[in-house]
Amino acid sequence: MFVAKVTGSLVSTQKVDTLVGHKLLVVEPYRLDAKDRDRLVTTGRTFITVDTMGAGEGEYVLITQGSSARLTPETKDLPIDTVIVGIIDSVHIDQQCVFDREED
Amino acid sequence: MRIGKVIGTVTLSRRHPSLAGAQYRMVVPLSLDDLTCDEEPRAEAIVVFDELGAGYGCRIAISEGGEAAQPFYPELKPVDAYNAAILDNVSIVK
Amino acid sequence: MQVGTVVGTATSTVKHASMEGWKLLVVQPMLAGGTTPDGDPVLVVDALGAGTGQEVMISSDGKGTRELLGVEATPVRWSVVGIKD
Repeated sequence: MFVAKVTGSLVSTQKVDTLVGHKLLVVEPYRLDAKDRDRLVTTGRTFITVDTMGAGEGEYVLITQGSSARLTPETKDLPIDTVIVGIIDSVHIDQQCVFDREED
Repeated sequence: MRIGKVIGTVTLSRRHPSLAGAQYRMVVPLSLDDLTCDEEPRAEAIVVFDELGAGYGCRIAISEGGEAAQPFYPELKPVDAYNAAILDNVSIVK
Repeated sequence: MQVGTVVGTATSTVKHASMEGWKLLVVQPMLAGGTTPDGDPVLVVDALGAGTGQEVMISSDGKGTRELLGVEATPVRWSVVGIKD
């Protein structure tokens, strides 16, 4: 799994039948700042993902990728490779908080 | 399974109902160089589903991809990285 | 399947039940020439008794490994399927 920030949503009218009715979000994977290791920074990559959790723009989420993305009742029949499985409250490295939802 | 070092923890405010009962660790996968030197590993951390209670600094066995969900057979869960073992000792001969 | 060099061993007390009793080798996958490392080392279960320094053939076939372990519910993917002469 990886940490990502919801940066937008995507609307598509013409899509495969199984995706009808599913909310599609744009997410950016985040990583630990390589030098100071004291905050999360964007990787600059983006993914489209299916939301099963009601995530909103600006929230940090936990994403499962690969074949495991289909292993929820909501996504088992969808042609997807990433899914949101959690909303992130905080991230700690050792004892140090590097992300807190309240302070973001 | 790759070998990883636990560097932190992710706390969720909400999670998919199938994912209850575990913790989420920030884990850096280790290269052969990382295993033979004392410096902090530099690779990008991944988030690993942990049922074993791995502490900060532990080395663990990370099962990735489809196999990460296989421990839950036949009720597979949406997990793509799973802590399969807390390693007591990794002995490398170069 | 891939060729790799056994670079070490790992031991674990707290682990998934399916791995109980299995030796864990640390194998560095190599490109076909046998001298260039290919990615991070992997933990591999071994029923053949490969030793450190030996070149082995490893398989990422999770199904084959589950058959070897005799357990469907296991997180283990890699196993040693041959020791190179």
